[in-house]
Amino acid sequence: MASFLLRRLLTAIPTLLVIATLAFTLLHLTPGGPFDSDKVLVPQIQHAIEARFHLDEPVWRQYLRYLADLARGDFGPSFQYRNTSVNELIAQGLPVDAAIGASAMLIALLVGGGTGLLAASRPGSWRDQLPMSLAMLGISVPVFVTAPLLILLFAMRLHWLPAGDWVAGSWRHLLLPSLALALPYTAYIARIVRAAALDALGQPWIRTARAKGLPTHTIVLRHALRPTLVPLVSFLGPALAGVLTGSIVIEQVFGLPGIGRFFVTGALNRDYTLVTGITVLYGALIIGLNLLVDLCYAWLDPRVRNRT
Amino acid sequence: MKAGPGLAASQRLARAVDAGGMRSIDPSISTDVPAAHVLDDLFEGLTRLREDGEPGPGVAERWETSADGRIWIFHLRAARWSNGAPVRAADFVYAWRRTVDPRTASDYAEALAPVRNALAISAGSMSVTELGITAPDARTVRVELNAPTPFLLSLLTKSYTYPQYEPAIRAHGDDWVRPEFMVSNGAFRLQEYVIAGRVTLVKNPLYWDAARVRLQQVTYLPLDRAAQTERFFAGDLAFTDSFAAEQTAWLRARLGDQVVSAPYLGNFVLGVNVTRPPFAGNRALRMALTLGVDRETLVRYVRQGLYEPAWTPTPPLAGYTAPVPAWARLPQAQRHALARRFYAQAGYSAQHPLRVDLHYPTDSDNRRTYEAVAAMWRANLGAEVGTYNEEFRVQLNERHLKQLALFHYAWIGDYPDPLTFLQLFQTGFGYNDGGYSNPRYDALLAAAGNDSDAARRLQTLAQAETILNEDVACIPLYYYATRHLIKSYVRGWTSNIQDRNLSQYMYLLEHGEN
Repeated sequence: MASFLLRRLLTAIPTLLVIATLAFTLLHLTPGGPFDSDKVLVPQIQHAIEARFHLDEPVWRQYLRYLADLARGDFGPSFQYRNTSVNELIAQGLPVDAAIGASAMLIALLVGGGTGLLAASRPGSWRDQLPMSLAMLGISVPVFVTAPLLILLFAMRLHWLPAGDWVAGSWRHLLLPSLALALPYTAYIARIVRAAALDALGQPWIRTARAKGLPTHTIVLRHALRPTLVPLVSFLGPALAGVLTGSIVIEQVFGLPGIGRFFVTGALNRDYTLVTGITVLYGALIIGLNLLVDLCYAWLDPRVRNRT
Repeated sequence: MKAGPGLAASQRLARAVDAGGMRSIDPSISTDVPAAHVLDDLFEGLTRLREDGEPGPGVAERWETSADGRIWIFHLRAARWSNGAPVRAADFVYAWRRTVDPRTASDYAEALAPVRNALAISAGSMSVTELGITAPDARTVRVELNAPTPFLLSLLTKSYTYPQYEPAIRAHGDDWVRPEFMVSNGAFRLQEYVIAGRVTLVKNPLYWDAARVRLQQVTYLPLDRAAQTERFFAGDLAFTDSFAAEQTAWLRARLGDQVVSAPYLGNFVLGVNVTRPPFAGNRALRMALTLGVDRETLVRYVRQGLYEPAWTPTPPLAGYTAPVPAWARLPQAQRHALARRFYAQAGYSAQHPLRVDLHYPTDSDNRRTYEAVAAMWRANLGAEVGTYNEEFRVQLNERHLKQLALFHYAWIGDYPDPLTFLQLFQTGFGYNDGGYSNPRYDALLAAAGNDSDAARRLQTLAQAETILNEDVACIPLYYYATRHLIKSYVRGWTSNIQDRNLSQYMYLLEHGEN
């Protein structure tokens, strides 16, 4: 197990290097520089600014400097948010995204998982068909439609919840963005859990359990749940990454100071360090989350465990 | 007699700013509009913007100027910093030197160009101590200019001229702009600063005019247009920065006079590159295109009546009569006939139509306008103009390299004076992207620059602008307008051409909303 973990961590390094290099190259290839503006700049001042951020050096030296900083965990200074380092921006933005992402995932798992199990327990009945139709709707309608609708209902009509803004630790500010972000994932999870549970319930060992006279809830929770979780877990890896990166739209709609917003404005403003920094961070998070998923597989499925 | 509503018990105002957010609130470095609003509340320069948007006394209570308009002496009042220290003349000297110091690497160093030696210092060829600002004593600031600058008092209300508190900057370096370290001298002080997020200011009791300031707290929220409108309806925003132009009629029907729009110091102009085909040496073609646009139709139907048609680059300014070309007064049908004549004269016809691409930065607002303009040229002249949108910085880059023939060239003025618009067409000016060059025009701008007689100077500028129109150096379409949603209980603001509304004048009346 330890060697499996070590091997995976070691292969993550070249992957990250490729991500970092691609991000750096693509940004530097994009026309327009970070300090181009439609306002007047004396050439000497432009040079002074570029020298401050080492943009006057040859690109290969900028690349090496960038990699050396990266190795020390330093993403460098932001170009557009002057006086601020990319690390500070991430330290400010990531907790916002993490809070929204985690609560969205929690909502999706509880509501989606519960609905899926319920639907699977009585396939074909209204308890199956109604939630599954709703789930189809949830998958089809994009976040940039549902989020404004939620604001319209809960903030503008009913005045129950704030229409946006971020106050650390306030559940009222957390609820609408998390809900909007959770909706499509809830729907996906409900469908996956239903399908997996139906599959599991049709297996011979369930028939054996029934034959032994076990009560239904014991069968579902003790014998059907674990195999049901396998497809769910493989969905969760990319889903967790999706929750993190998908919050870009949510941040825009609700006016939240997360890193998705920095990512978008950073790209538009050619903030090289900020964009490469967030790209590498996203890359590392996705690799880490996938690793976590693989570890969960090993726990859920003895066949995987024995292979490693 | 029935008394009107009294002051609200809670004087807390929430204002929106553009979602691009503040990139820095360091007065020497900041260049973006959202930060300018915050800095206007946090700091005060030698002059201060009055409620009507005109400059009036600020930290300087009075001033005098030399006969040639090149030396200004400002006498400071007994003002204090938010930590209680007195605001000294040396604080201005320190701040201005810091702005032009190449080590600060300020994007705005150029804005101080009228001050003696400013450009040479920012170019690194002179020491900062040579800058044309000195402090003969603690309460006197002496400013030396390169040339008479009639708009100086307006410049002095801008953030890059604000005083700065040297001990705070020395002690904390780049971090001095954080709420725990910042020392400011304006009507408000910084309480909370979330990068690209909420900025909260509270009243500064040590401000010299604090007795008159009624707001206790001001919150700035960076939001995009749609979110600003949503939050306004939800009741947690009382003063928005903008709204979508295409929603104007809808908003007016629901909000009445809470929808506020007024002339703004900006033009929406099409640039033509006079150094490359098809426009080089072809004034007739440029005339045909400018005559072939129906500005009234454009403004009325595409821009929902928000903006004013433009016939000349400089928007309406107090005291300046912009030269409107004679053809602007012709009825539309005659303009079209004239346009077709010029089109033929330029060598184009139905068999051999003009084919050119119009380049503009991606934005739905721009797209509507330019597609309408291209359609007008197709209908009125038979010209085949394609519209081509690109991301802002890509377009900017191509423009500066003078690769584009016909391009989006809108400009927001830096100060309320024609020069901010006219210098764009000066030979060799960094942002003269159409490559226009006319020695007579340059000579007139130079003459105006050295003229200390304000009225004569404006006449000279108007002469220069006439040449610009005769040469069709650009195709003006319309002048911008400010767009705000303002709750009816918010008082103490006046629409002004620079669209700067200081929170220190505002107050809230009793109202039903929370």
